[in-house]
Amino acid sequence: MTLRGSRFWALMSLFLIALPFALPSDYYLGIATHALVLAILALSLDILIGQGGMTSLGHAVYLGLPAYAAAWTMQNANWPPELAIPFAIAMGTAVSALFAVLSLRARGLGFLMITLALGQVMWGAAYRWVGLTGGDNGIRIPVRPPVLGIDISSVRSFYVVVALALMVALVCIWHLERSPFGACLRGTKDQPKRMNMLGHDVWSIRFLAFVFAGFWGSIAGVLYVFDYLYVSPSSLSLPQSAEALLMVVLGGAGTLTGPVVGAIIITVIKTVVSSYVDRWYSLLGLTFIIVVSVMPRGLVPGLKAWFAPKEGGAR
Amino acid sequence: MSHFALEVDDISKRFGGLAATRNVTLRVKPGERRLLIGPNGAGKTTLFNQIAGDFLPDSGAIRLFGQEMTRLPTKKRVRMGLSRTYQILTLFPNDTLRHNVALALLGTEGGGWSCWSSLAAKRDMMARADDALAAVGLGDAAGREVAQTSYGERRRLELAMALAQKPKVLLLDEPLAGLSADERETVRALLEHIPRDVTIVMIEHDMDVALAFADQITLLNFGQVVLEGTRAEVIADPRTREVYLGH
Repeated sequence: MTLRGSRFWALMSLFLIALPFALPSDYYLGIATHALVLAILALSLDILIGQGGMTSLGHAVYLGLPAYAAAWTMQNANWPPELAIPFAIAMGTAVSALFAVLSLRARGLGFLMITLALGQVMWGAAYRWVGLTGGDNGIRIPVRPPVLGIDISSVRSFYVVVALALMVALVCIWHLERSPFGACLRGTKDQPKRMNMLGHDVWSIRFLAFVFAGFWGSIAGVLYVFDYLYVSPSSLSLPQSAEALLMVVLGGAGTLTGPVVGAIIITVIKTVVSSYVDRWYSLLGLTFIIVVSVMPRGLVPGLKAWFAPKEGGAR
Repeated sequence: MSHFALEVDDISKRFGGLAATRNVTLRVKPGERRLLIGPNGAGKTTLFNQIAGDFLPDSGAIRLFGQEMTRLPTKKRVRMGLSRTYQILTLFPNDTLRHNVALALLGTEGGGWSCWSSLAAKRDMMARADDALAAVGLGDAAGREVAQTSYGERRRLELAMALAQKPKVLLLDEPLAGLSADERETVRALLEHIPRDVTIVMIEHDMDVALAFADQITLLNFGQVVLEGTRAEVIADPRTREVYLGH
């Protein structure tokens, strides 16, 4: 059984609506908000990995860079958020286009290494260019400003913003997957040579996918800085990129629910379990090892196969 | 306007010390069925790769209906009417047969940039994909995934994808490779029914089928053309025996 069409959307909406009522306090709702912001980041990365077969280790660039852009313009240039937000998203997307040109010179491991190197360059700049970024101290926003006159300062109101953004991201990426472009993108993953021979422009398809991923990553980046009211070099760091990759692989690359599930699990382990267990990084590693050994394609496809009628397809 | 459908004019290609293609000239008339034969490593597929644009020849020219295409990217050659199948199956295994053909149609017709509309809702394209599948006897299997089809069916899907593009010149790289006797007969009949407005250049080792199919035969060895002629001429020529038996 697969969750398709209306059932998927009904369940997803129900889950997002029920969450604020089900969680005991604002503290937990805050953690849920963190998880959903990262879910958008993971979804954006999955356009590259699950659909395009391009594994990136530098996706935190599109979280951290727009976060810095929004924070800096609002704090140091006194821009209103209505201006800072589109600017930050445009900047993140433009940088993704530039980095796409650089990264798409290679495939596979080479692609991974270039994205990793570009990510490290951005991290190094944020860390060392103290005059612009505040270095290790980062940039702090004292209070969450209202956007378009709407007060989003409370935990609950900001949760609604993030939940809506996640729904919009899911709808757009769902459409992308079913579209001719989505089919072409998956084609370049499986058979780039054949796609070329069929008359497709493989490089441009990959480029566009990369920019899409950068765009949705930048949305996550803006939400991230409004969520934490703080941005530091760690948002651009390799561990942040690796975490996003882990979310995708854990939940299941190439599925719509997988990256969301992965983001929730990792955020819960990181924030909730870490207050009870000291070695939570080991726990994260252990979870990952168990999941990929039992369900190599990730939790969501793995569980689907588990519950599927045994006669068909389930290995 | 040249009166050749495909003209390969004195092309050469070296890979380091290996001369993969040596001064090969090939002139194929519109509607002709041309067979390329030669032992393994003779440079047949390498020649296909250059016609398709996978890599460029070091020297010489390639023309399609008189139009220069030696240095054009593959996608432009496809738009000019060139299609190709592969010896090693090159399909999209996780998708349905219908979508495999749809990718072929998107390649020639465009429309692949649409990010919002559903591919399945492109009814006209889906119908034409189904027609292309029906033409190779896979009409009932259109909704199945490639992973659930037999090897013989996949061979026919390869053919359906190329034919759906309505090519003017079709390159077939061993369309019968690995097929059973029954399946070979099915594919042979399909090839025979391809209309004569499609020019075909075929690499094939199954001589029974290939020789009957071909109008003209070109024998390659060590990257160069050894001889060219009708079936009777090539069979009778002692150099054919020499190349194959190496006596």
